[in-house]
Amino acid sequence: MARLLLLLWSLGPMLWQLYSSLRPSAALSGTGAGGWTLEHYRQLLQGDPPFLTYLLNSAVVGICSTALTLALAVPCAYALTRIGRRQARSLTLLVATAAGFPAVLLFLALLELARDWHLANQLLALSLPYAGLCLPLAILLLQAAFADIPIELEEAALIEGMGLWQRLRWVLLPLMAPAMASSALLVFLFSWNEYPIALTWLSRTDLLTLAPAMARIAGSSVFTIPYGAFAAATVLGSAPLILLMLLFQKQIISGLTQGAMKG
Amino acid sequence: MNHSGSATFNGLELRALSRRVGSHTLVDQLSLQVAPGEILALLGPSGCGKSSTLRLIAGLDSASSGEIRLGGRSITGLPPAERQVAMVFQSYALFPHLSVERNLSLGMELRGVARAEIKRELDQVLTLMQLDGLRQRKPAELSGGQRQRMALARALIRRPALFLLDEPMSNLDAQLRDNLRAELRTLLRSTGVPVVYVTHDQHEAMGLADRIAVLREGRLQQLGTAETLYRDPANRFVARFLGSPSINLIERGNEQLGLRPERLELVEAGSPVPQGWEALEGQLSHREWLGDRVISHLTCPGHGNLKVLSNTPTSGEALQVRWRKADALRFEARSGERLPGSRPDQPS
Repeated sequence: MARLLLLLWSLGPMLWQLYSSLRPSAALSGTGAGGWTLEHYRQLLQGDPPFLTYLLNSAVVGICSTALTLALAVPCAYALTRIGRRQARSLTLLVATAAGFPAVLLFLALLELARDWHLANQLLALSLPYAGLCLPLAILLLQAAFADIPIELEEAALIEGMGLWQRLRWVLLPLMAPAMASSALLVFLFSWNEYPIALTWLSRTDLLTLAPAMARIAGSSVFTIPYGAFAAATVLGSAPLILLMLLFQKQIISGLTQGAMKG
Repeated sequence: MNHSGSATFNGLELRALSRRVGSHTLVDQLSLQVAPGEILALLGPSGCGKSSTLRLIAGLDSASSGEIRLGGRSITGLPPAERQVAMVFQSYALFPHLSVERNLSLGMELRGVARAEIKRELDQVLTLMQLDGLRQRKPAELSGGQRQRMALARALIRRPALFLLDEPMSNLDAQLRDNLRAELRTLLRSTGVPVVYVTHDQHEAMGLADRIAVLREGRLQQLGTAETLYRDPANRFVARFLGSPSINLIERGNEQLGLRPERLELVEAGSPVPQGWEALEGQLSHREWLGDRVISHLTCPGHGNLKVLSNTPTSGEALQVRWRKADALRFEARSGERLPGSRPDQPS
């Protein structure tokens, strides 16, 4: 019973959105009769630009940010677990501070940067601040995972004559897969949901990512709130994330709980 | 140690090898030789520098001073990959995500060995180590003994010029360890290369190795066969480390007498002491009955507790413990150095 309540509590808003997206506008504002409709979805998908463009933009930015973050975080985390303990401790503290830094304070500075370096309205350029903001957390996660791999494994590989790249490729990274999957997903989620930077860096309609695009739908009319269209956008926007979660849930859970079992 | 012929020495040779980390000396001026086909055990309590020595030889840590020579050339500065050493780790360090087969072949694959040759070597080693039916298993699906064989197989398949083992038996239960000792000895001997075997277990060292080097705080205490170390220990540390039950030590002024438990005899209290013998009177505190032998624990007033190993239990509580004067090892009380004049036991 308690579990059912908990499930309703967490799934309720999503189900409500799904319900709202399938009801005609009149029914939602309480003036018309009931019934079901796909009108909101049709409207979104046939809009100009079609809603799929936003999804695609978000996916491109998300994948790019994730790749960039991992490409930087893996070597950082590896180095942090292999340098002396004392240096590692102060550097890790620095990284943790960076992870805890309130990103809101950076928006204006980032906007200045975008203007100076002509990064505005460049879809892929969004990956730079996203990767930057996610990097500290990703490093901490991966560092914990690297530290969990016994050093003898790498030494055994060293004695076998494997070079640094071979040790990473054949021994360490395969063992890091759960941690990398969960870090990657966190970064992807962040960039999928990120709003303020996307809002300020992008102005061309066909380049918008999901969050600012949805804000435009919500604010498209002064007089009415398009509940139905907004709900449909929410459903379409969260569907890929839910799919990702379902696909990788095993890795994510084992990655996030890594180190929890061992003292 | 005699270094005169060492320029042409074919095995492993350490020359005044040292490793210091900060102000801490892990290995201190260690010199020894291991001939091809010889098994040398590095024996000592934890923290004595035996594993550090092994890591120096493997090239995992770098030496602060001294030299490591293998097959007549210096390998002190070479990276581990170029030393042609194989090492069996205490944890076995098997790659958990790879099958038995891939664990063994990965190194060769990456070195670019031809596929046919890899297959031939794999077949040979897997058959030798009785792992043939387990090729596709992951390490987690193997028993402790199988994992150990797998670690040995991975070392063997390298065809190393030097074999290093770091407490390879410590993860096995006592029964299996006893059974494997002879097998492992034969296997290691058959490689025909120098073998360095690190252990803190005296039984393992005595049962497996041709010679034993006892280490303490990074310094070599004594190097010799098990029998030499047992009968003719260089100092109190070596005498106490070898032998089970351990040697009895009784204070005698600024000397200590070392008495092996099996060299003590128990007789009725107040018995006359024969010529050339010494005796103490004591009270029996308890007995350990081991089936084939009995360990009697005696409390001797003013001398502490003595352990006596005998074949048959004695009756009575008040006893006399006695020994041949020649059987007692004499140590300087403070330094623990063996004093001259106490001669080694004659084999009986």
